[in-house]
Amino acid sequence: MLEKIKKDFTTMTWVLIPVAIAINIAIGQIVVLLKLPVFLDSIGTVLVGIICGPWAGALTGALSNTIWGLFNPDSLPWWPVAFFIGLVAGFCANAGLFKNWWKVILSGFLIALTAAIVSTPISVYLYGGITASGSSFITAYLLQTGQGVLSAVLSTGFLVEPVDKISTAMLAFAIVQGLSKRLIARFPRPENAEAEEGNSTTQLIIALVVVVIVVALGFLVRNMLAG
Amino acid sequence: MHERLSYYVKRDSALHRLNPLTKAVLALTIILITFFNIWYWTAHIALLFFIIPLCFVGRVYREYFGTLTRLILPTAGFLFIMQALFQPIGETVIYQFWVLDVTQESLAFAFLVATRIAVMISSFTLFLLTTHPSELMSDLTRRGLPGQFAYVIISTLQILPQMQAKAQTIISAQRARGLDTESTFLKRAGSLLPLVGPLVFGSLVEVEERAIAIEARGFTSTHVKTSLHDVPDTSLDKVIRWFLVALVIITLMLKIWLS
Repeated sequence: MLEKIKKDFTTMTWVLIPVAIAINIAIGQIVVLLKLPVFLDSIGTVLVGIICGPWAGALTGALSNTIWGLFNPDSLPWWPVAFFIGLVAGFCANAGLFKNWWKVILSGFLIALTAAIVSTPISVYLYGGITASGSSFITAYLLQTGQGVLSAVLSTGFLVEPVDKISTAMLAFAIVQGLSKRLIARFPRPENAEAEEGNSTTQLIIALVVVVIVVALGFLVRNMLAG
Repeated sequence: MHERLSYYVKRDSALHRLNPLTKAVLALTIILITFFNIWYWTAHIALLFFIIPLCFVGRVYREYFGTLTRLILPTAGFLFIMQALFQPIGETVIYQFWVLDVTQESLAFAFLVATRIAVMISSFTLFLLTTHPSELMSDLTRRGLPGQFAYVIISTLQILPQMQAKAQTIISAQRARGLDTESTFLKRAGSLLPLVGPLVFGSLVEVEERAIAIEARGFTSTHVKTSLHDVPDTSLDKVIRWFLVALVIITLMLKIWLS
């Protein structure tokens, strides 16, 4: 196990991680500048997860939030979320879920689900459910309607995260496809980035079915966790 | 070596002379105790009677108060308002605003959460103000942290300002050729790719060159490397560290025992 993980950490991986962290932060700031209603602050993390494996992605996420904490201290307590985003993106890529675009949507959903679940205890324990982010208005509304804190925070997460994480996964996929094959081949897991060809109508149908299944799964998990 | 992201202020003080690891443990201890101590006023006392005096000991009070007004107070203040308005706890209504009501309990809770966050940011800031990142990393490497981690952190701190400058250049260039970054939502969303693309591809191309360069300098070598600078670690440091670890353990035990 440990040997396998070590294999993912080549010199290329170690050099890519700082660049990926800088990409996370720089794109996060561009998005703020464009006033878009998403964060997109983990594109670099997902990118490392795809071409260097889950543990490299996880490390990138955790360090990214810690370093971002230098000038945006509110991001500091959320490092476990970023850790799991990188990890899940890596596992999805290993399972071949970053090879064509409907699979990328599925990966985005899985990442969003993880992010929502991991961020819930942090949000509830540190902030009592109301954080400094804009989506807390939804949480506050749900709290006013009489829902419990845990279920309100989880519901907000499931509502907000998918849009952000699917866009993140799609952008990371687009970036990987745009890189030259020669460069990708130098990283530990070039096979994760090979694109598959397919009929686009079938892909659209599969994507829709997958989205419906994942949404249902999300609500099941929410009900299980919130009781 | 120019590091714009580093908060470090070079001064001569008791706090600056401490070993970097001791200061890291100190910052973590303050954070853990404020979050796990069951007594309501712990966070407030830690801020007023511990962190602020430490700033004077470390002679970084001017920089600390600068950060406090620029960064910490806005964050904590915003959180306080959100919490006070939206926490649905408590019975004693003090003030009503539309469908939201501010109760005594929600005010108390908001004050606690905001102070805790302020303490967390403050101790982190204090640590960064008195510790040079390279010093911390060389000390941790000497203690057995793999050199690769040190590389990642130090190199991120150097790449980030460059990347932000590059992003600024790309934004200006794309605007100059007429890219719409300010009008409707769809136009703004559409201008994301022309901004992100050049930035990402440009920086990823450099990765391979950099990998070859550090490989040639023995990056993956497993031999023990000698350091040019010697970071002092006195017996006082060791005493302080063990004392702080003991404090954290006592706090955690109290928390488990009493709840």
